[in-house]
Amino acid sequence: MALTRTAPDRAGGERARLPGAGRAGWRRRRDAVGLVFALPALVLFAAFAIYPMLRVFQLSLYDYNLTSPPVWVGLDNFRFLFGDERFLASLGASLFYVAVTYGPAVLLALILALGLNTRMHGSAFVRLLYFAPVATSWVAVSVIWRLVLQPEGLLNQTLNTDIPWLTSSTWAKWAIAIAAIWKEVGFFLIIFLAGLQNIPKDLQEAAALDGAGSLRRLRYVTLPLLKPITVVVLVMAVIRGFQSFSPQVVLTGGSFGTEVINLFVYKTAFASARMGRASAVAVLMFILLLMVTFVQLRALRRSA
Amino acid sequence: MSAGIVARPAPVSRRRRPVGKIVVFVLLLAGGLVFASVFVYAALSAVKPADEVLTSPMRWLPTQWLWGNFTLPFEQAPFARYYLNSTVVGVSVTLLNVVTCTLAGYSFSKFAYRGRNVLFLVVLATLMVPLEVIYVPLYALVFDLGWVNSFAGLIIPSATSAFGIFLMRQSIDGLPDELLKAARIDGAGELRILWNVVTPMMVSPMAALALFIFMTNWDSHLWPLLVGNDEEHRTLPVGLAAMQANNLGSGGLPMMMAAALLALLPTLLLFLVLQRKFVEGITMTAGIK
Repeated sequence: MALTRTAPDRAGGERARLPGAGRAGWRRRRDAVGLVFALPALVLFAAFAIYPMLRVFQLSLYDYNLTSPPVWVGLDNFRFLFGDERFLASLGASLFYVAVTYGPAVLLALILALGLNTRMHGSAFVRLLYFAPVATSWVAVSVIWRLVLQPEGLLNQTLNTDIPWLTSSTWAKWAIAIAAIWKEVGFFLIIFLAGLQNIPKDLQEAAALDGAGSLRRLRYVTLPLLKPITVVVLVMAVIRGFQSFSPQVVLTGGSFGTEVINLFVYKTAFASARMGRASAVAVLMFILLLMVTFVQLRALRRSA
Repeated sequence: MSAGIVARPAPVSRRRRPVGKIVVFVLLLAGGLVFASVFVYAALSAVKPADEVLTSPMRWLPTQWLWGNFTLPFEQAPFARYYLNSTVVGVSVTLLNVVTCTLAGYSFSKFAYRGRNVLFLVVLATLMVPLEVIYVPLYALVFDLGWVNSFAGLIIPSATSAFGIFLMRQSIDGLPDELLKAARIDGAGELRILWNVVTPMMVSPMAALALFIFMTNWDSHLWPLLVGNDEEHRTLPVGLAAMQANNLGSGGLPMMMAAALLALLPTLLLFLVLQRKFVEGITMTAGIK
């Protein structure tokens, strides 16, 4: 875009000088107006995104409780965290949550997308059933699942089991994962369906004419073409997973091994008033997310 | 898709194995009904007498249909207040985002000031930094500004979004420069061009953005919990979670279900009415056009 706009200027440079020397100044004034248009967003970004971003790194090196001035402690916060069982447990809880929720959710979404990528009558209605949880809020859904997961709730009654889903260290993390899978499948389904619709129909038809059955077409045409989207989906899944907060708060309050990292940050900062230490966790979380993103995007580039 | 006539006479595979397709469809439908059963269960529990919610063996249907349970959240908790707060915050944040993102998108797309690309890249880079990473210093800032437990704290830090700016810039890139040039030759000022030429053609992406922002904001829990956790400023997610924490007895279960359903209703309805826009918004977050 930048090129197409400046190129005519350069080409018509000599000509532009003839009609009037004020033209360049006029253009500059117009561009200044353009910068003014961006200002509200830029000011908001500077104050509420970039400043806190820089500050989180700074605060991670301080002891800070919001009311008294920060005290420099160097890397003490990080040193503490790597020896802190509670932090390591929360890291484990988050990794478990990401793997056990988003692994199955993404896989299920992919399978559903392959099945629902037809113009069959009624498939729009079926899609709706899977999409609906995406359009609802996490807290409301968690309140509902709190009932579903009671000892006499829908899940136990349907499975004919007697599992204390929300009050046992064995089961609570699975319980939250089940609720979250239900909530998240539709999100990835939407993305996979869009990806499938981007695959040119003639490729499928050409393969069909060559005698490839539907399984072979899936294996050699559809899935390879879905790979880039799958990588993007996995990046999104990991990031969404590490952001999780509401289901843990509402379903267990973080007990029974479900204190995920985000909840740990929250409690460290606001229950224990250790803003510095909480910032250090946030920094580690940021580095982790960045690494995941880069590793997965590199995998994408290598395969492309 | 666009090859309409050419593509149509070729659904060979569709006719070849209708039975397989039907089996797949039935399986998908059954799975979908399992998904939906959670909502049905919640709705039926909401209208049951409290002691019928958790019985063993389970009964789906109530013996008495207590529709009045839907007023319980308003009577036993300041649910109307939560609703109002969520609406005020959601609508404000949405409007502010549409304005700031359209302005910035237009600026990044159609003007050539120095540093434009760098600024845009900086904005894009913030997409990599979720709220969860920065909320501790962000809270400290809002605390210093005196915005804790205020609508300013709930609204202003969310008043723009990198995704929105990206979306609006992409869309405005598609507008031909000649259109703007023509308006300029007619002597229209830049604000006038934005309002009379750009905005009317950007209604669709603006609507997608508005829907996306509103739904995200309606769902937002962590930030409002930090800066609006007194009764006057609680939004629905914060209020609902507080009600849940205070109502662990089984007596409150129908009320909690009624409250949860009432809380998720607006975005669910929006989704049902504006499905296509909703899907558009989500696919754009994944970078698919």
